[in-house]
Amino acid sequence: MKSLDPRVTRLPHIGEVKLKKSLDQFGTFEVFVQAKEGKAFQHEGAIHAPNLEMAYVLAKETFTRRFTCVSIYVVDTRDVFVSPTTEGNKSAYDLIAKNVEGTIKQTFEIYHLPKRGKLHVHVGSVEASSPEAAMINAKELFGTGKIVYNIWAIEHNKIRFTSSEDKDLWNTLPEKKFRDASDYKGGDKLKEFLERVKN
Amino acid sequence: MPATGYRKQATSTTMNQTALKELIYKIADDLLILGHRNSEWTGFGPLLEEDIAFSSMAQDKIGQSYALYQMLNELGEPAPDTVAFTRNANQFLNCQLVELPNQEYDFSLVRHFLFDTADALRWELLTQSSYEPLALLAKKIKGELRYHTMHANTWMKQLGSATEESISRLQRSLEVGMPYALGIFEESPNEKEIVAEGMFAGEKELKKRWLTKIENLIAQTQLHLPDSKILSPVLGGRIGKHSEHLQPLLDEMSEVFKIDPSAEW
Repeated sequence: MKSLDPRVTRLPHIGEVKLKKSLDQFGTFEVFVQAKEGKAFQHEGAIHAPNLEMAYVLAKETFTRRFTCVSIYVVDTRDVFVSPTTEGNKSAYDLIAKNVEGTIKQTFEIYHLPKRGKLHVHVGSVEASSPEAAMINAKELFGTGKIVYNIWAIEHNKIRFTSSEDKDLWNTLPEKKFRDASDYKGGDKLKEFLERVKN
Repeated sequence: MPATGYRKQATSTTMNQTALKELIYKIADDLLILGHRNSEWTGFGPLLEEDIAFSSMAQDKIGQSYALYQMLNELGEPAPDTVAFTRNANQFLNCQLVELPNQEYDFSLVRHFLFDTADALRWELLTQSSYEPLALLAKKIKGELRYHTMHANTWMKQLGSATEESISRLQRSLEVGMPYALGIFEESPNEKEIVAEGMFAGEKELKKRWLTKIENLIAQTQLHLPDSKILSPVLGGRIGKHSEHLQPLLDEMSEVFKIDPSAEW
């Protein structure tokens, strides 16, 4: 049987010299988190997973095990359209190529990077036939005149959303302080100990 | 919800205390022991994200067992730490499935699937418990249980239809785990009172629901569920009879506590 177990596949054996293969790794998926009802979804980071459904399951614990959260969604990294990035001298909206039209209209979710070092925040959705056209439309609707450093557009139907039944996932035992190092009051105990030693 | 005709009790003081404690102990012990076992994967999980998820669920289980030990404390039993760290193996009422060593990840996943499916159904039934604190806790932890079963089901569907190796590994683990999983439903000495007083719908009802659930899930994979009718369940856990694996687990779990039992954490 062909094995993927490195303890089996790395067993030494005599054979031909071969070129190095590409790394056997999972692809990445982008994770978006909604901290409170009514608040915008924010990009939190990426995770590795074999597919969208597994990505959703793994993202839940990776990104929402401690902080308040009411909903998440995930999308394949390869489904995120990224605008050119500016350094703050002009808005990313001014760098979008015009007149790039596709054939079928779809819904795109639009995200802004408000500052370098911040995360992309969802600003709304638009109908368009291409990601470029979606961003041009978004400029009308969401371009408040403020500098936007970078824009993302994601086709709505490529996203794995949280269903209404799955909102229960964040309905958990509230007494989870034992998960936080701060609950063990290490600093206080150290101070007490040092006081005791001094006296 | 369940058509088992629960008889509501007026107060907990009129309930059979022995039966009630027995019920809470076995649920709590299952969760503490499996929580500890699963936490042994921390830092060794097959990928970072899964390591985090599995460890986090292990913490959920220990948190749930803590809530149950507090409940027992209110019923006159010793403090949660005392109960968790100072009993010997023969005083634990967990089923033997949860104490088995982790082995390879395939076994841990299959155990997680078999146990957590039963656990989620047990708590679903407990939302109707005549003992109100249990019914309340059942509602509080609904979200955690939903995630645990979602996690288990997604992995089983993924690996149960992936490669020849993943399928054969899960299949072998199913065959090893199934007789132990049937031991989850071993009836407690006071099972009759537990059911009659409406504390819990009972192990028979739970097992029936569990079989339907796991059959449905396994049918969506290339795995075959071993026939539960011809297997003999591994029993004894619910009356304190355990495999040789439980005592070493308890020794390790309580090692730090026993250095200084009066220490404040």
